[in-house]
Amino acid sequence: MFRNYIKIALRGLVKHRAYSFINILGLATGMAVTLLIGLWVYHEASYDRFLPDYEQVYQIKRHYTIEGETHTIEAIALPLVEIMENDIPGIAHVALSDWGNAHSLMVGETKLSSQGYFVGEDFLQILKYPLLRGEPATVLNDPNSIVLTEQTATALFGDADPMGQAVKLDNSQELTVSGILRDVPGNSTMQFSYLLPFSLLENISPYVREARNEWLVNSFMLYLGLAPGVDQEQITPLIENILAEKSPDLKPYDPRLSLQPAADWHLYGRYENGRPAGGYIEYVRLFGIIGLLVLIIACINFMNLATARSEKRAKEVGVRKAIGSKRKHLIVQFLSESLLLTTVSFALGILLVYLVLEPFNQLVGSEIRIPFDQPLFWLLMVAYLLLTALLAGSRPAFYLSSFNAVRVLKGGMQKQRSAVWGRKALVLIQFSCSIALIISTLIIYQQIRHVQDRPTGYLRDRLMMSEMSEDLNRNYEAIKADLLGSGLVEQVAKASGSASEINFFTIISNWPGRNPDRAHLEIGAVRASETYFKTMGMEIIAGRDFKSNLEADSHSVILNEAAIRQLQLDDPIGQTINWNRNQNVTIVGVVKDAILLSPFTPVHPTLFAPSFNHESSILYRLSPNVSPREAIPQLAEIFDRYNPAFPYEYQFADEAYARKFQLELLVGKLAGLFAGLAIFVSCLGLFGLAAFMAEQRRKEIGIRKVLGATLMQIWLLLSREFLLLVLISCVLATPLALYFLQDWLLQYDYRISISPLTFVLAGLLALIITVITISFQAIRAGTARPVDSLRSE
Amino acid sequence: MISIHNIAKRYRTDEVETTALNGLSLEVKPGEFVAIMGPSGCGKSTLLNILGLLDEADGGQFLLDGIDVSRYNENRRAELRMEKIGFVFQNFNLIDELTVYENVELPLLYNGIKAGERKKRVEYVLDKVQIMHRRNHYPTQLSGGQQQRVAVARAVINQPAIILADEPTGNLDSQNGNEVMQLLTELNESGTTIVMVTHSEHDARFSHRIVRMLDGQTVAESVLV
Ligand SMILES: Nc1ncnc2c1ncn2[C@@H]1O[C@H](COP(=O)(O)OP(=O)(O)OP(=O)(O)O)[C@@H](O)[C@H]1O
Ligand SMILES: [Mg+2]
Repeated sequence: MFRNYIKIALRGLVKHRAYSFINILGLATGMAVTLLIGLWVYHEASYDRFLPDYEQVYQIKRHYTIEGETHTIEAIALPLVEIMENDIPGIAHVALSDWGNAHSLMVGETKLSSQGYFVGEDFLQILKYPLLRGEPATVLNDPNSIVLTEQTATALFGDADPMGQAVKLDNSQELTVSGILRDVPGNSTMQFSYLLPFSLLENISPYVREARNEWLVNSFMLYLGLAPGVDQEQITPLIENILAEKSPDLKPYDPRLSLQPAADWHLYGRYENGRPAGGYIEYVRLFGIIGLLVLIIACINFMNLATARSEKRAKEVGVRKAIGSKRKHLIVQFLSESLLLTTVSFALGILLVYLVLEPFNQLVGSEIRIPFDQPLFWLLMVAYLLLTALLAGSRPAFYLSSFNAVRVLKGGMQKQRSAVWGRKALVLIQFSCSIALIISTLIIYQQIRHVQDRPTGYLRDRLMMSEMSEDLNRNYEAIKADLLGSGLVEQVAKASGSASEINFFTIISNWPGRNPDRAHLEIGAVRASETYFKTMGMEIIAGRDFKSNLEADSHSVILNEAAIRQLQLDDPIGQTINWNRNQNVTIVGVVKDAILLSPFTPVHPTLFAPSFNHESSILYRLSPNVSPREAIPQLAEIFDRYNPAFPYEYQFADEAYARKFQLELLVGKLAGLFAGLAIFVSCLGLFGLAAFMAEQRRKEIGIRKVLGATLMQIWLLLSREFLLLVLISCVLATPLALYFLQDWLLQYDYRISISPLTFVLAGLLALIITVITISFQAIRAGTARPVDSLRSE
Repeated sequence: MISIHNIAKRYRTDEVETTALNGLSLEVKPGEFVAIMGPSGCGKSTLLNILGLLDEADGGQFLLDGIDVSRYNENRRAELRMEKIGFVFQNFNLIDELTVYENVELPLLYNGIKAGERKKRVEYVLDKVQIMHRRNHYPTQLSGGQQQRVAVARAVINQPAIILADEPTGNLDSQNGNEVMQLLTELNESGTTIVMVTHSEHDARFSHRIVRMLDGQTVAESVLV
C-alpha cells in the first residue's frame, strides 16, 4: 500500500514539475534556514560546555550600589583568594586570572604576538582545558613556565618537541614550556594561545604584589571549582557578604558577591540591579523564533499549494473512496506524500546549509559545522523531518480526505469556502511575518545609521594606534622623534588606552559644591601625554590643554563636558577636586565630549590626567598626504627598531570604532538575511497560488476576453485579492514588529524614535514584490489567446 | 439483496431546495440485472449513489442483504463498498497517475490482499476484459472503450456481489458500448447483481427488468425476461 502511495506521489511530482519545484524549493529554503539557525543556536548554547565537569565551574561576580544603581563586574580584590581557599568549605579549587592581553613570544628568530592569560596554579583543575602534555595539577606551578596550545607550539617550534624548551616573553622573561594544551575551540568564552602562571605576574609587576592585601584594588577575575556534589545554592550564602564584613570601607556601597556558572558565561552576560538579566541569550531566542517562523512560512506554502491543487486531486479521492478506501487511508496517503516531498526538500536543505555554512560562519563570526558524525544529530534530523512533514502535510491530508465522493466524482468540484478562507488566513500569516521582519531590518539599520552619524568628538581619520610594550615605553621619546622626523606622521601621543577604550575607572570623592548626601562620582580615567588632545583631534572648549612641560601640570586634570555636567560645576576652571580619595587636583581645562566607549550610550564622564608612567597605547596620526599602504612598511621599520620582540601591529581608529557596531551590524545582517529569505519563500508560495488561480479561471478569463476585457482588467481581476491580503498583512505586521523592536531599542540610551514612514516603506516594498510576483501570472493569463483556453474545455 | 423503502433525498442550495428522490422504493433480487431509465434530472444518479453507499438518504429504509445500513458511519460504509460493491461510471474515473494494471490492483491493496494473489487476480480480470496487452499504459493513452473496460475490471476485481453502473456507455460509440454491455452481461450470468442507469433503450434490453423514474419516483416497470 505504502509503495502505491509513494508511486503516485513520485509520478505526481514529475508530472506537475513546476508545482513540485516551487514546493520543494520553498520548503528546502525554509528547512535550510531553520537548520542553520538551529545549528547556530546550538553552537551558542554549547559555549564552555565542552569543559569536563563544567557544572562545578563558577566565576565570581561583584555587585555594588552607587546612588541607587547597582553595578556588576567581574573584577575582585586579591585578599578574597585566601578567604575562598581557606575559609569556605565546598570549594575545591580557586584560581585568579587577569583579563587577557597580547604578549610577544620569542623563540630564536621566531616571534609572534597573541592573546594569553596569567592564571592561578589551579586554573586547569577548574577549567579543564584538555592537556596533551603535562599534568593539570602541576604545569603552572613554576613561575617561569608557560603552557602553549598545540597551534602556538607548532608556530614556535615547528615539528620539534616543545616540552622543556625556552620561550622569551615580551623580550624580558625566559620561560620554559611545561605543557601543551589542545587548541581552544571557538565555543570557549576564554580565547587564548597560551597560559602563564599568575605567580610570574606577581614577580614582574610590583603593583600585583602590593595589591595582595588591598581591598580597594579590584583588578583580577576569580574562578572557583566546587567540590563534587556541592552546588551554587550551598556556596552563595557563605560568600555573599564577605566584602562588607572584611572591608568597612566598602560598606556604603552594599557590596555583594555571587557566582555565575560556566554554562551561563556566554549567554547571560548582562546584569541589571545585581541580577542576571539576559544578554546574548536574547538574540539566540529571537533568532530561534525567526527560524521557526521561516519554517512555518515554508510549510504554509506547502499547505496552500496542496489544497489549491486539491481541486485537481479531488477525482482521485472520489475514486479511491468509491472503491472502498477509508478516510484514514487517504490521510496516510497524503501524509506520505508530504513526507516524500519533505525528504527531498530536506536533502536539498542540508546541501544548501553545507554550501552556505562557510559564508555564514564568516558573516556571524562563528565556527559552526554540521555534526554529521553524531548519531544524536541524525536522530534530531529525523524528528525534524517528520515534524515538518506533519506540519506541512496535516492540513492538506485532512482537507483532501474530507471530500465527499459523490460531489467530487460528479465533476464540478465546488469551491469550498472554508478552504479558500483557510488559504487566505495562511497567506496573511506568511506576509505578516515577512513584513514584520522587513520592518525590523529597516529599523535595526536606521538605529545603526543613527548611532554611526553621531559626532564622535575626535577625528578618526588617519589616526592609528599600537599597543606599547615595555621596550616601547622605554624608548617612547626616541620613537616619537623618529616617527615625526620621518614625515609619515604629524602627531604622536601616548595614553593609558587607545582611542576606543577607557581602561581605568575611579571615583571623584569630593568637589566644590558637592551635596554631602551624594556619594562619589564614578568616572573614567585616561592618563595622557601632553600631545594627546592634539593627536586625537579633541577640542578644548574651556581653559587650556596640558602644558608641553607636563611636569608643570602634575596636579592638573582636564575633564570632559559630561563630567562637568555630573559635578554640576558652573565655573570649573581652577576648581580643585579630590580624585582617588586622596589626590587633590585642579581642573585646568574642559574638553568636548568624545565617544571613547560605546556609541550607544551617553558619553561617560571622563578625567584626563597627565601621564608620567608607562602607558599601554601609542597614538599617531598619519600626515595628510601619506598613503597608509606606503606608510605601513616604513612605520614597521621604525617600530621594529625600538620594539624588537613584537611584530609591528596597529589599528586604525576608524576601524576600531566600526567594531563597536559589530553586534548590532550582525543582528542587522541576520535580520536582513532572514527577512529576505522569508519574503522569498512567501513569494514562491504566492507565485504558485497565483498560477493555480489563473489556471482555475482560465475559462472565465477566456470568456471575459472574448467579451472585450483588457489586459489591465484581467490583471486587476487576478491580483486584487492578493494585493488586499498583503495590505492587511502590513497592518498586522506593524504591532508585531513594534512588540519586538521596542524592547530591543530600549536597551540603547542613544536611539531613534520609530517613524511611521518605516512601516509605509516596508509595506510598499512588500507590495511591489507582490505585484511583481503575481503580475507574471496575471499577464500570462491576460495575454493568452482566448481560443486556447476555451477550446480546452 | 437490495431493498429500499420510501427513500427521500433533498438537496439544499442557498435559495432553492430540490427534491431528488421522493419516497422511492425498489427491490433488487440476487443475480438480477436491473436497468433504470428516466429523463435527465429525475434522480437516477442520486439513487445509484445511495445504493452504492456513496451518499446518504434523508429518510427511508435501506436494507443490504437484509441488514439496515442507513445508519452506518463512513468507515463501515467504506468497508461495505470494498466488500460488496463495484462501481462503473460514465466518465470512467480512472486515476490518471496510475497504470491500467495499478488502477485495477488498487481495490485489492485496500483489501489487504497479498502480492502473489493480487497479481493472479489482476491478470485474470485484465485478460477477461481483453486489455492485458495495455496493462502498463496510463488511462490517458487509452480509448474511451478501453478505459471503460479497465473500469469494469476494477469494479469486479474484489468479486463484489453488486455492480452499480451509471451510464457506462454514455461516453462510448455503439461498438465500444456493445463490448461493455457484453462484459456486464457475462458478469451477470456468472452471478453478479447489476443495477445500471442508462438513457439507451438498446442497452436497457440487456437487462432483466427496466425501472422507469420520473421526478424522484418510480413510475413504471417492465420485465423483459
Ligand atoms: N449536489 C447537488 N446539489 C443540488 N442539487 C442537486 C445536486 N445533485 C443533484 N441535484 C439535483 O437533483 C436532481 C437529481 O439529480 P441526478 O443527478 O440524480 O439526476 P439524473 O437522473 O442522474 O440526471 P442525468 O440523467 O442528467 O444524469 C436534479 O434536479 C439535480 O439538479
Ligand atoms: Mg445522472
